[in-house]
Amino acid sequence: MNDMSIMERAVSQTDIKISARDVQVWYGEKHAIKDVNIDILDKTVTAFIGPSGCGKSTFLRCINRMNDTIDICRVQGLIALDGEDIYDRRVDPVQLRAKVGMVFQKPNPFPKSIYDNVAYGPRIHGLVRNKAETDEIVEKSLRGAALWNEVKDRLQEPGTGLSGGQQQRLCIARAVATQPEVLLMDEPCSALDPIATSQVEDLIDKLRANFSVVIVTHSMQQAARVSQKTAFFHLGNLVEHGDTDDIFTNPQDPRTESYISGKIG
Amino acid sequence: MPVFWIVSIVLVLAVAGYVAAKARVLKLAGGDSRRLHSRHVYYGWYGALLVATPALLVLAAWMAAQPVVIDRGIAADLPPSVMREGVNPAIVVQDVRRTATALSQGLREGVLTRTDLADAAAQAETLRPRLTEAGIRLPPAASEPAMLGAGGEYRARQVAGHWAMTGVVLLLAVGGLVLGHRQSQPQTRARNLVERFVKAALITCSSIAILTTAGIVLSMVFESAQFFRQYAWTDFFFGTTWSPRFGGGSQLGILPLLWGTLYISAIALVVAVPIGLFAAIYMSEYASNRVRSFVKPTIEVLAGIPTIVYGLFALMTVGPMLRDWFAQPLGLGSSGSSVMTAGLVMGIMLIPFVSSLSDDIINAVPQSLRDGALGLGSTQSETVRKVVLPAALPGIVGAVLLAASRAIGETMIVVMGAGAAAKMDLNPFEAMTTITVKIVSQLTGDTDFNSAETLVAFALGLSLFVITLILNIVALYVVRKYREQYE
Amino acid sequence: MTDLSASGAARKSSLVTLDDRTRRRNAAERRFRAYGVAAIATAALALAILLVTIVGNGVGAFRQTFVTIPVTLDAQQLDPAGNRDRGEMSGVLTLAYGGLLNQSLRQSIEGAGIEVEGLTDRDIDDLISKDAPAQIRNRVLANPDLVGQTVEVAVLTNGRVDGYYKGRVSLASAANDGNTSPQQLALADALKERGLLATKWNWAFLTNPDASDQRPEAAGVGIAILGSLYMMLVVLFLAVPIGVAASIYLEEFAPKNRLTDVIEVNIANLAAVPSIVFGILGLAAFINFAGLPQSAPIVGGLVLVLMTLPTIIISTRAALKAVPPSIRDAALGVGASRMQTVFHHVLPLALPGILTGTIIGLAQALGETAPLLLIGMVAFVRNFPAAPPEGLFDPASALPVQVYNWTQRADPAFFERASGAIIVLLVLLLCMNLLAIYLRRRFERRW
Repeated sequence: MNDMSIMERAVSQTDIKISARDVQVWYGEKHAIKDVNIDILDKTVTAFIGPSGCGKSTFLRCINRMNDTIDICRVQGLIALDGEDIYDRRVDPVQLRAKVGMVFQKPNPFPKSIYDNVAYGPRIHGLVRNKAETDEIVEKSLRGAALWNEVKDRLQEPGTGLSGGQQQRLCIARAVATQPEVLLMDEPCSALDPIATSQVEDLIDKLRANFSVVIVTHSMQQAARVSQKTAFFHLGNLVEHGDTDDIFTNPQDPRTESYISGKIG
Repeated sequence: MPVFWIVSIVLVLAVAGYVAAKARVLKLAGGDSRRLHSRHVYYGWYGALLVATPALLVLAAWMAAQPVVIDRGIAADLPPSVMREGVNPAIVVQDVRRTATALSQGLREGVLTRTDLADAAAQAETLRPRLTEAGIRLPPAASEPAMLGAGGEYRARQVAGHWAMTGVVLLLAVGGLVLGHRQSQPQTRARNLVERFVKAALITCSSIAILTTAGIVLSMVFESAQFFRQYAWTDFFFGTTWSPRFGGGSQLGILPLLWGTLYISAIALVVAVPIGLFAAIYMSEYASNRVRSFVKPTIEVLAGIPTIVYGLFALMTVGPMLRDWFAQPLGLGSSGSSVMTAGLVMGIMLIPFVSSLSDDIINAVPQSLRDGALGLGSTQSETVRKVVLPAALPGIVGAVLLAASRAIGETMIVVMGAGAAAKMDLNPFEAMTTITVKIVSQLTGDTDFNSAETLVAFALGLSLFVITLILNIVALYVVRKYREQYE
Repeated sequence: MTDLSASGAARKSSLVTLDDRTRRRNAAERRFRAYGVAAIATAALALAILLVTIVGNGVGAFRQTFVTIPVTLDAQQLDPAGNRDRGEMSGVLTLAYGGLLNQSLRQSIEGAGIEVEGLTDRDIDDLISKDAPAQIRNRVLANPDLVGQTVEVAVLTNGRVDGYYKGRVSLASAANDGNTSPQQLALADALKERGLLATKWNWAFLTNPDASDQRPEAAGVGIAILGSLYMMLVVLFLAVPIGVAASIYLEEFAPKNRLTDVIEVNIANLAAVPSIVFGILGLAAFINFAGLPQSAPIVGGLVLVLMTLPTIIISTRAALKAVPPSIRDAALGVGASRMQTVFHHVLPLALPGILTGTIIGLAQALGETAPLLLIGMVAFVRNFPAAPPEGLFDPASALPVQVYNWTQRADPAFFERASGAIIVLLVLLLCMNLLAIYLRRRFERRW
């Protein structure tokens, strides 16, 4: 395939944030992702669904090159952010991750105060020059993560002392504070109870206004509730993707249909 | 009868007990082992244990107690010509014991007869030359006839005690054999009884650790107390001069030794902590599996090298090198052994200690925290410095404390690399000394266990033990708390 | 409140161009990495220097300079009674043998046509080690039939001549040395030229006992190896059973209560108590209180037992802990008692781990020095201890202590001996560790 044509197409359609072409991932000998082609839109929530081990999380981690930290992992193909190949030799993964933030399956606040957790990203990326700016960005991010009212009186307490749902929202606030363009979420609610889950889901819906959000989930209900676009992965293949409503009401592929109806997975 | 034979006879009886109990119980069951409560071997073991356990326990206890009892008895019966005022009774008794040994030897070699011994004091004049002629040496104190008499008496009691012991032990063994025969009934719960015995044995073994600690504390506290009876504790703990004189008038202040110990340990930690920590960070955060697979064993080799090797390294290589390249050109001293030599080499020794402890601790920091930081766009070093290290800090502090305790208690490197001069100086190229060096020097060679100059070693040992114990307890507590946090 | 992307859009920049800040951060990253590499390189370098200097200094101890001369064992002097009776011949002192040796040496020099300049007869005699007569005497006493014959013997040269061929002594340094002279070295050179003097492999270093201050060339590690071996036997027969029994109790049977907690904390602390404290304990408890002899391997062994117990207990417990509970459940499920479960199933499965831990504990004990100094193992011992068990009570030395002992002597030739002894020690340790690694690889089990 001609790389330039993709670049041009990607640039011409400004609402496409990320485009992936022929992506292959190997873990040592294991072919974990096969030939994935997908475009991810800006200011949209895209859900990756599929049975466990299907490669959805692996693919998500390719988008901000978190797979770089695993020695045996190899990525082939093209993933472009705003038309720029993120696996280009000249790209610094650190700079990339500042633009493509990530929230993980298990809440992982740093063993520091709530305030320092949120201020961490802006500080390392030099987004703030003084205390006042830091205060401002911390408040804005915590508000953005719908956590401000719960923690505004105890910003100096350790982040690890919060409840599970609060911790996960703190992690979202921490990711948001870095002012990324894309937010990747790897099963962000799997460790949470139903009430905390619905709070986080509400938050994801709000985040759509400013970011391109990609969420990996094993809950089809969650995908239906929060996403506009859905992609179904199976055994390393991207089987089908499109509007969430279409996928759930009118799946094209028999594998998608049997997954949605609960026969596999 | 030598103890070896007593033990052998008891063991033979135990085997007999095993065979007899097993055979009897099988016979009672009519050869059908299903009618027994336990498998027949357990009856055999039970029989054997009944024979051996009481007999051997009494044997051990008797052997431990007999010298003490005889010493006491002899000391009480000694005439005033031997037990003089102002002389340590322990030393007198020791002379009596030596006399007794010499008399026994004379008897064994046929120089003396039993009748000679019975009346040793009266025949002192003839006994002594006969022994000397046979090359058997009597202690100088035996010039006193009463001493020879006491020696003969001592030997007589020893022999009597030994025969009594032999009789009691063998009687117990036979008694056990009879008891085992009686108790070999099919309904006896032999397995439970044997297991209860094994468990008791296991418990005894585990309490040896406690006994060791108690032994350490008791031996040092006891001797230190004797030291402090001769030397004021304020002078020991706050004295700034260390100059033992065997003629008397020693000054035995611990402060110069403590200063040397801490100075050397500080240099060792300054060397070991950064190198060990950075090596651990590199290995757990950066190195590929391949690199790790040969770097880790290399560093562990350093940990397996005995301290005497480091001591020799300090003495032969590092010391002269520092002297010729640094101390002399800079005019800081001309001694090969110095604080710097010992500190540097000890630092090398501690590198693997710090790095393997830190490695464990850094690996205990959950991967999710690293992912979180990397996902926000931290570089790896930012992740380490701002997230991993702060999270691991308590554990690392614990590791450093353990390393400090190691450094303070290290002996061979300082004995061979630090020197023997007790002084409080800031110049690191000056020879200084440590607590451990002085323990070695006061306790080796000819020592008199009643002089303050020797006993001070026990006070030094006790101080060393207390310092390292506190460091260890704090460190182990901190590390344990740290681990619990991430478990 | 959702006005978050505004500033984000403002710094929209290409991914492929690095901004200054990222460049700075990457430089910091590289520096940090370099510190790590430097730390590891420093450690490796230190190890390399240590090993190279020790081995470099020590290999010399395995080579020794000998003079090979024919010696006529004069029957008149060595066996005046003429009946070749060992008992009577042992009455002849080494002095007589020394005389014979000196005579033979002078004859050989003359026979080889070497002009001796500026040396008295005494100086020539001094070429030979002071230990050489004793060695010949031992050889003759072992085989009395040699008397009356002329035998070729390779006798040790003195330490200075030996040092000359190992680079320790030079003609210049010999000029200021009371124990040798440039002329003596020239004589040695002349003997070497005629093939009478050579530096060759010296097994005696491994078998000889220690030698006195004036005879470094004759000193060996024989007694030290034997003493270390005896102590290892004591450790093996006491520390291993006791340690394993204690671990079994603590891991498999002990109820969780105050007492077992105390025992556990105690063991962890004992493992970190300085080794010299164990020496003090040994001195106070075994020698002063129990009255065991000084310098005896039994006392050294007991001290090392107490020292290695915590190590063995800790590693044995780890090995027992690694046996999965399902094995215990399975055995208990078919009606085995707890004791049977442990001894029939858990213990055999944990055995490789226990062995590995034990060997490492033994290796640690083998290299330990400080506590042995306090219980008198530094004494100068010339007589080999008897076979165990009685030999355990005879005076002996130990390898690491022998090293220390030799470093305290004045003659630099002893430093070579000390390094040589270290090589022996390190080789033994290496073998033990290789055995441990082999056992771990061979029996490693994954559940």
